[in-house]
Amino acid sequence: MSEVRSLGYSPPWHDTHIIGIAGSSGSGKTSVAAELVRMLNLPWVVVLSMDSFYKELTPDQSKLAFQNNYDFDSPDAIDFDILVDRLRDLKAGKKAEIPIYSFEKHQRVPGKTTTIYSCHVLILEGIFALYDQRVLDILDMKIFVDTDSDICLARRLARDVKHRGRDVRGALQQWHRFVKPNFELYVRPQMKNADIAIPRGIDNITAINMVVKHIQRALNAKSEAHLKKIAELGQQVLEKPLTDNITILEQTSQLRGIHTILQDRKTSREDFIFYFDRLASLLVEKAMDRMTFTSHEVLTPLNLPYKGLRCASAICGVIVLRSGGVFEVGLKRVVPDCKIGRLLLQSNIRTGEPELHHLKVPPNLSNHQVLLLDPQIASGAAALMAVRVLKDHGVEEGNIVFLTYMATKVGLGRLNAVFPEMKIVVAGIEVDWTLRWIDEKYFGC
Amino acid sequence: MATAAPDTGVESCAAAPIGPSYREKDQKPQATVSGKIKFDTVHVLPQTPQLIALLTIIRDKNTQRGDFIFYSNRIIRLLVEEGLNHLPVEGHEVTTPLGRTYAGVRFEGKICGVSIMRAGESMEQGLRDCCRSVRIGKILIQRDEETAQPKLFYHKLPADIADRWVLLLDPMNATGGSASMAVEVLKSKGVAEERILFLNLIASPEGLEHFASKFPKLRVITAFIDEGLDDKNYIVPGLGDFGDRHFGTLND
Repeated sequence: MSEVRSLGYSPPWHDTHIIGIAGSSGSGKTSVAAELVRMLNLPWVVVLSMDSFYKELTPDQSKLAFQNNYDFDSPDAIDFDILVDRLRDLKAGKKAEIPIYSFEKHQRVPGKTTTIYSCHVLILEGIFALYDQRVLDILDMKIFVDTDSDICLARRLARDVKHRGRDVRGALQQWHRFVKPNFELYVRPQMKNADIAIPRGIDNITAINMVVKHIQRALNAKSEAHLKKIAELGQQVLEKPLTDNITILEQTSQLRGIHTILQDRKTSREDFIFYFDRLASLLVEKAMDRMTFTSHEVLTPLNLPYKGLRCASAICGVIVLRSGGVFEVGLKRVVPDCKIGRLLLQSNIRTGEPELHHLKVPPNLSNHQVLLLDPQIASGAAALMAVRVLKDHGVEEGNIVFLTYMATKVGLGRLNAVFPEMKIVVAGIEVDWTLRWIDEKYFGC
Repeated sequence: MATAAPDTGVESCAAAPIGPSYREKDQKPQATVSGKIKFDTVHVLPQTPQLIALLTIIRDKNTQRGDFIFYSNRIIRLLVEEGLNHLPVEGHEVTTPLGRTYAGVRFEGKICGVSIMRAGESMEQGLRDCCRSVRIGKILIQRDEETAQPKLFYHKLPADIADRWVLLLDPMNATGGSASMAVEVLKSKGVAEERILFLNLIASPEGLEHFASKFPKLRVITAFIDEGLDDKNYIVPGLGDFGDRHFGTLND
């Protein structure tokens, strides 16, 4: 395999567009971020609050915090190292585990994190979003929300008393002792790092509109680059022969007979489902041959040894929704106790670009040999994305078997070129472009 | 044991590294694979790692009944699928949902299953998984305690069986005695020998050779040719009594 050089593929969430929003406490950073999310109206915009990155307090500091005497408004309270680490991962399109901070206990919630993965736009908001040089280097856009300090104080008082269970005296004490001096000392100077300052915060509709337009342009450019890259891959792979990691089922008379029934538009749904399930079981059986096995000796009921094999690790099926759902019956006929993960990919109607909408896989996915199931590979763009998602969750490329009913040569070639270690099992090849119809017939809608 | 003499055309089962072609030889695990027999009519399923793993489970005396039924059924489905491939097809053109023409094939002729009671009945589910409403006839053959020869006790077959292809089901082919008698019954009902496919999971070289010589046009599909027979005519290393393990009628 060593001479096979893999061609690159970057998912659209690679090089995530990261926007930093800084500003005084009560300036309306959160509202601005929420408004950007609302106006962009995309499922891949994630807001990351710097509150998640407060340092864990020592017992002494914790005591001070409970007496309103700990300075949460100083850059020292923020764990920039972890923040930078996570931002770098997200920027690279990887999965990042974000700590959860408890304001009641002034501690991180142990053992719990929030996972952020595959966002196209990340909005980092916090009073020190534009403070650390390492963060500034990662940000694609730097915004400072510049709101009058009287308004900031009024908002902060209202919030502390109403939502954080503080009394007015304690809240005011915090403001005078920490918030105000720190604003002058650390927060306001960040304005010089900003690309754009938004006076009046959320009320400044013109400024927010401009920011949204800018982000949309950047996203469109990325989407075009992604599609162009996939198109280029198609040109490159057409000349290459497929490697023997791709298994095409032997076109026996039965298989051709089943193909004919499935391809016939006049076939009833009842028959279609029966024959598809039958074929799916065969495909899964074939895919299981591509798993790794180890020697295993057993005694037969006659107390004689038999030197056999067993599967080297547990199997997990990952279904690419919605179409991949058609393989579920076949999968369970072969591996009834198989764990099943799911991811929902939808093609953008306008651009044809696949988009990741939902993802749920077992936590220790990387310990499994994974069967990735999708009945049709056309351009291969959705398949590339699905495999990339598995790899980002720690699954080794050689432990993935991609199972499909029909595929185009170019789609197979792309997958094979980008992921040369992955195995592919396919029931037949269509020569040219193909629309998705298998799942429509199977599910009847 | 049971190393057959070369002139019988049998090659005994032996350990071999198995796995797909892209894997280096030293990366393939060792396992005992099926023996070989020189009859064109005998088809042994490809000895893939997955098939060997399935056989390992059902051979293991510690395998629980639920697993035994499930994993043997998987092998049976593979046997049925392979068997069906031997049936004739004719060209058939259809229009696809996308409006294109697809030059395909369709199945020609009618089939039926015939299970040799009782172990053969354990293969009926696998047959129905592939052929929904297939007709299934039954033949009861048991060993006559006085003569130690197989004896026909009962049979019930489709009336038009002479017009059908027959998939004859018996999971273990030890001496081939019962299967031979079943074939005689089918032939007496007018079924042509070449239209019978005998499906079994594990066969002995002796039983297979006897059977294949006796019925030169009848096709046999098996998952594994084992070492041989012991003095009680059990297949070794085998998997014990298939019927007892499947139906849970072991006394322990």
